[in-house]
Amino acid sequence: MARLVVMGGGVAGHTTATFAKKWLGNDHEVVVVTPNSNWNWIPSNIWVGVGEMKKEEVVFPLAPVYAKAGIDYRQAKAVSIHPEGKEGSDKPFITIEYTGQGKEGQTEEIEYDYLVNATGPKLNFDATPGLGDGNGQIGPNTVSVCTADHAVHAYSELMNIFEKAKTEKQKILIGTGHGMCTCQGAAFEYIFNIEHEAKKAGVRDNLEIKWISNESFLGDFGMGGLHMKVGGYVVSSKLFAESLYAERGIEWLIGAHVNKIEEGKLEYELLDGTIGEEEFDFAMLIPPFSGVGLKAYDKTGEDITDKIFAANGFMKVDADYTPKPYEEWKADDWPRKYQNPDYSNIFAAGIAFAPPHLISKPAKSPNGTPINPTPPRTGMPSGIIGKAVAHSICNLIKDGENAHIHEASMAEMGAACVASAGKGVFSGQAAAMTVYPVVPDFDKYPGTGRDTDYTFGEIGLAGHWIKHILHFLFIYKAKLKPGWTLIPE
Amino acid sequence: MIKELKRYPDASVNVNAGPIRGFGEKYQELVQDLIDTATYHKLNALSAIQIGEAYQLFIIKEKDEYKPYANARIIRQSKPFKSTEECIYFFNKPITVDRYQELSIVHDTKDGSVTKTINNKEEASTFARMVDWTFNTSLVDRLKPADKNLVIKALASGGHMPNINDEICPTNSKKDYFISVADKLMFFMAISLFLPLFNISKDTLSSWYSYDKFAISAVIALIIGFFFYAQYEAKKYKQCTSCQIGNQIGIIIIRSAILFILGILSYFILN
Repeated sequence: MARLVVMGGGVAGHTTATFAKKWLGNDHEVVVVTPNSNWNWIPSNIWVGVGEMKKEEVVFPLAPVYAKAGIDYRQAKAVSIHPEGKEGSDKPFITIEYTGQGKEGQTEEIEYDYLVNATGPKLNFDATPGLGDGNGQIGPNTVSVCTADHAVHAYSELMNIFEKAKTEKQKILIGTGHGMCTCQGAAFEYIFNIEHEAKKAGVRDNLEIKWISNESFLGDFGMGGLHMKVGGYVVSSKLFAESLYAERGIEWLIGAHVNKIEEGKLEYELLDGTIGEEEFDFAMLIPPFSGVGLKAYDKTGEDITDKIFAANGFMKVDADYTPKPYEEWKADDWPRKYQNPDYSNIFAAGIAFAPPHLISKPAKSPNGTPINPTPPRTGMPSGIIGKAVAHSICNLIKDGENAHIHEASMAEMGAACVASAGKGVFSGQAAAMTVYPVVPDFDKYPGTGRDTDYTFGEIGLAGHWIKHILHFLFIYKAKLKPGWTLIPE
Repeated sequence: MIKELKRYPDASVNVNAGPIRGFGEKYQELVQDLIDTATYHKLNALSAIQIGEAYQLFIIKEKDEYKPYANARIIRQSKPFKSTEECIYFFNKPITVDRYQELSIVHDTKDGSVTKTINNKEEASTFARMVDWTFNTSLVDRLKPADKNLVIKALASGGHMPNINDEICPTNSKKDYFISVADKLMFFMAISLFLPLFNISKDTLSSWYSYDKFAISAVIALIIGFFFYAQYEAKKYKQCTSCQIGNQIGIIIIRSAILFILGILSYFILN
């Protein structure tokens, strides 16, 4: 009997574990180690953040789902990887520290035959002074919608602002809290949902709403922009976004690196070197991501973290990490198998793998501050990679070392994204976007690096319905309800 | 090399241009092609997409010399104004769009990223128009949807370009309400003509005849109202094809003729 240990229970980890268990059956063991007791459908957190959904609607307990699937669930955080075992044993293992199940604080070693790192990102609030509390958590100056609990808190603070806006002017600032953030889409969704809700609450006139982002142009969305179909015309996402912001009376600051946040005030540096300040009464700023801080040790106990992980804490896989200038970036640099080059029984899926370089064009301010979106690897790519990794490990377990390893290069993979711009059965609006491939292939598609027929978006009420349907569909799938395998990633 | 300029309605310009990734030989060739083409056509600016090369690159004539701008981004803009511009793609027909006088720009050179500031309406307009081209946005795309439709119609027919500083005719003119109500009244008049086929009492038919008499008066009043309101709108909205007097007279003649026929039939059938 082989044992697969999956670290992380988000989109990538949950997909890997559930598919692997289904394909391996009871002949082999699947263990999931995740510090969370709940699974969270993160794309709907923005609706929790404006009070259009309850927290309970976007989360569900993992324990009964894993119990039903026959997966060994450990509510714990992974601390270290020991791929060569330890003195007296060649069996690789990880150490974990429990965060629940009545064993809080207890540590344990779990041996594995195959290991998947799907720990997702650490929300690196402390990368920007004042964004974090100095202990890795969100600070008191801003709110976040990155987790369901953050979103609940954001809604509570937002309601205070709406209440104040009944009698006095209030300023809301939404965007990215650092020059190297990703997930601009979540902030985009949140700002337009706030604007939508403010109108419904009758306080829009007293609200100044402003966007601040590290994108070098509005509508970059962290992927270099795309086409949008609006009112029967095809326009660039830049024009689409500029029109949308102007129509909704939302000002914007782009190419911005937020370098310091205090109570009601932040400082930023723009791509053109300008230094500025913005005051706010309410700010939701997405933090940058980093690896979760796993350590790795060899058989003798020597620290080999640098061997397994990149400097940003994400796990090295079969990518080409050779530093190269922008013009030499290739689609082939991106990983296909997500297998660690030094330890072939270790894989990384979703955000946890180290990308070889950015997707967007790199940019620096005249002061040398890097200000550009980092590669998005959330949602659909995470699910697809998780499933491919599950396939590969099942093959390895069943067929041995020469088994077929599945491939899922982001340079050959499309992705879809639905960004809400307001919730409502008839008044809702969302931008539905598809990108192919996620990572531009400049050799195959000269110019933009993408197939323009499949890199497209459209905004409207139907987009909102799609997003709402996807909410129910993916939670249904994650709960492993009948037919869950038929629902695509 | 002088390249062929893309002209409206060539849709090959409707693609997002890719970033300039290197500044080697291919880049130099592209810049030279742009300079040769712009010089030949006596243009003060030209983007790569206008000669069919989907790259974020354009040249602008500065002090008698063309200067290339790669991957240009407008980071800040202020002081909005109305800018009337021409673009060779639209056969140099002037179009008025919203622009900003003060721009802060970053662009790439072989030595790295460079910042540039502009505080001049003409220069800012040209720069913004060129940046727009690199993002699949033409002058016409900068217009509001209603204005865009008008300009596209004008381009398609080779007619005069509308001046969008005038109040533009709304898609649904209020004068149409007059005709809409008149049409509905006449529709029920037409229905009433078929009632004798259904063995309906004389009292009911008499009531319907009364309705028809009321409808005739009402439709005449609505047609008169339409005529005067249409004149008012024609003065208010200078760019309005449906506001032309010929259209209004045509609508009045058609409705009057239908009303006359319905009135005669009603008199002989229901009376």
